[in-house]
Amino acid sequence: MTIVDSLIALIAVIGTLIVAFVVSVWLPGVERKFIHARIQQRIGPPISTPGLMSPIKFFFKEIIKPNSPMPRLYNSLPLIGIIITIFLLIIIMPQLYPLAAFSSVIALVGLLKIEEILYMFMGSLSKSVLSLNMPFPDVVKGAKHPDVPRSFVEELSSMRAFRLIAFGSFPIYLAIFVPVAMAGSIFLGDIVAYQQFNGPVLFSLAGILGAVVYFIGFMILLNEYPFSILKTKADVIEGPLLEYASKSRAYVYISRGILMFVLACIFSTLFLGLPPNILSWTILLNILVALIFTILMAILSAFSPIFTFKQFYPVVTGVSILGILAIMVSFL
Amino acid sequence: MDEDNKITLGNSKKQVIETEVPMGTVHSAAIEPYRIRLFVEDEVVKDAEITIGVNHRGVERIMEGLPVEKANSLTEKICGICSNSHIWNSVLVAEKALGIEVPERAQNIRIITEELERLHSHLLYLAHGNEVLGHETFSMRLFYIRETVMELLRMIGGNRVQYGVPIIGGVRPRAELNQMKIQKIQEGMNLLEEKISDFAERFVSDPMIMSRITGVGTLKKEDALRLATSGPTLRATGVAVDIRRDMKEYDPFEFDVITQDDGDVKSNLLVRVLENLESIKIIRQAVNHLPEGKITNRSWDMQDTPITKSYIEVPRGKLYHSYALEEGRVRHSIVRTPSIANIGAMQYACIGSHITDAQLAVVQCDPCFTCTDRAIQIIQL
Amino acid sequence: MSLKSYSRARAVHVMLVYTGGCNGCDIEIVNCIFSPKYDAEQYKIFLTWNPREADVLVVTGPVTKHNEKPLKAIYEAIPEPKAVIAAGACALMGGVYKNIHGDIPSEEISGPVDKIIPVDAKVPGCAVRPEDVLAGAVAALPKLLDAE
Repeated sequence: MTIVDSLIALIAVIGTLIVAFVVSVWLPGVERKFIHARIQQRIGPPISTPGLMSPIKFFFKEIIKPNSPMPRLYNSLPLIGIIITIFLLIIIMPQLYPLAAFSSVIALVGLLKIEEILYMFMGSLSKSVLSLNMPFPDVVKGAKHPDVPRSFVEELSSMRAFRLIAFGSFPIYLAIFVPVAMAGSIFLGDIVAYQQFNGPVLFSLAGILGAVVYFIGFMILLNEYPFSILKTKADVIEGPLLEYASKSRAYVYISRGILMFVLACIFSTLFLGLPPNILSWTILLNILVALIFTILMAILSAFSPIFTFKQFYPVVTGVSILGILAIMVSFL
Repeated sequence: MDEDNKITLGNSKKQVIETEVPMGTVHSAAIEPYRIRLFVEDEVVKDAEITIGVNHRGVERIMEGLPVEKANSLTEKICGICSNSHIWNSVLVAEKALGIEVPERAQNIRIITEELERLHSHLLYLAHGNEVLGHETFSMRLFYIRETVMELLRMIGGNRVQYGVPIIGGVRPRAELNQMKIQKIQEGMNLLEEKISDFAERFVSDPMIMSRITGVGTLKKEDALRLATSGPTLRATGVAVDIRRDMKEYDPFEFDVITQDDGDVKSNLLVRVLENLESIKIIRQAVNHLPEGKITNRSWDMQDTPITKSYIEVPRGKLYHSYALEEGRVRHSIVRTPSIANIGAMQYACIGSHITDAQLAVVQCDPCFTCTDRAIQIIQL
Repeated sequence: MSLKSYSRARAVHVMLVYTGGCNGCDIEIVNCIFSPKYDAEQYKIFLTWNPREADVLVVTGPVTKHNEKPLKAIYEAIPEPKAVIAAGACALMGGVYKNIHGDIPSEEISGPVDKIIPVDAKVPGCAVRPEDVLAGAVAALPKLLDAE
């Protein structure tokens, strides 16, 4: 590999990242304006507002110390989330395939795991005014159970994040291993090459099952209704994200858009054999897949209530079984 | 509520409780200020305590010594949802005490306003319930349906929220219904019936929503009776009690008392949906047979009266007002709102459900903490 | 218009704190955000329940004794720049609850709102109309836009 090649690869990676960023700021707007608002028969916000203008606005807000035992760590978590998401995007780019060990499904799974674990830290570090810190005379004469340990609503979210790690994210990992089973390799380069010879994984029975499972996993990872057990209006409000203000809040907004785009790119890499690459026209297909995922997710979320564990467990179990089925079908 | 009170259900003292999660007084599920402390074990609510008193403004205290007409319109400000009910009941107390005949036309206009209020309150309840369920789309749709009712209320009462029409001896001249208004009400009722039926069909056939609300926040019939709940919350447990059946104002009208059997969130929501349709029926009867004549009876004299009581059925249940008149001024005013009886039901309905459903179980009893915050005395039973 | 002002005008997060009025204003405000008829989101106004996310605090009700401290705590939790809208007669001057008879103040009420926290825009009405709330949010905007 010459220096010129490396330079072109570097420019391609940076270019793809810029494209990813530009596309991702519009996705929340598409979700809110074109789907939710349409279904709810109203006009809805401008398309740029939820994804682009809100983060910019939060950048210009006063930087405050969050109500947290470790404010700096707490504030840095969304930034770590964004960096991990960018890493996820980098490792699926074809320019990185020569570094075989780095661009494998194992790295993908590991980075996704870190992304989930961040929510646990956020939940246990946030001490919002909306719960226990509300100045209200609670434990007074005549109150029930005055000696019980008391906790913040965010701690519930933290526990739920743990449950998500434990089994809630099964669907997406199972779906990731469908192409692995078909291609017979954990390296992304091999998976993409396999699909160039044999056609995309999506157009097989296992691929279709895997895509459905991947889509559910995508929604669970994004905490979108109905799977948003981490942040529900009915109890934990915004859960782990409650204390983020100004810049950190902006990162939270941006990270959601980027994660939507990157997860869609992972799908198109694994199931369509089209890694995001600015040097090829197929990046348009990546963007199209991201849009389709966003639209489908928005339609599903507009028509469903929040799930509690009573509904969440069976859905996740069912989808996981479907995922296992898809892997078994892919071996046949 | 007092812990030593024997009405406390569930042997809460013996249980080991893992942690307490307080919510409020500002919370997204409960728009009104109240504090709820949930005692949870592995996200299952073992016990709950609702603290009211945050909203206490002492309306009775302000009413004390006011001229009766002023006091009546003050009761409107007890609650922004059922404002007409409060002013109606307050007026009824004075009419009962002074022996005032109300013209039939005024009676019908009062009924129309009250039933419109029931419609808007129940639709608000359904919208809020869906919002707590996390179903934004249904919530928006219900708010949109509710706008029809709000427009009719604005047409009759002149305001979207504080629109109470009764005055002593009849209704306000503003609330006189002419042919155009009657026609608008009829059209509105047709529209509402269609929209509410459509919504109900769509709602009941949604498997995800049904799975969320069936069997959640169950209140048994005997517990509901023991806790002295009232209104739709009681009717959702299968007890057919409706004071409208005993009120002479409602005698000319035909309507059914809606009951459901289970006492869970589903029953509560369905009771409200079906009661909406009954309200539409009553309004149609009242509009179609609107008697001609005066709308106010001005021929009455003020005199001193002893304490007089009046009960009416309001959207949330049984409303009680009582006061005495002394030189045209109000004395010993007492207001007892339906939600105060339902607080026990709310606390009880939370127990055993998942913490996400706890607010739903509170909302299913249609809380109105602004009404509720009266000075109360808990008596040992 | 600088990017700062432009972005602030394009995304306004509103938090509603309800301090013990009659529920009327409260429902009208939630209605103006949730109902497709008024749909505040088309004017780039979003409802949030988290003070850390909010720019504009809408306060209704006369601020009862128990609500005084929570209101202050929530106001302090909002990062600058922030604006406060007092909505409804109760929030403006205590409504019918503040004065008992003549000039005897009610001991239940600590309000009106501008006694507790600084108020930037006042929306009159009993109850406020949804249109007026939207107009109030617009009236509070210059403070947000011009702030550092």
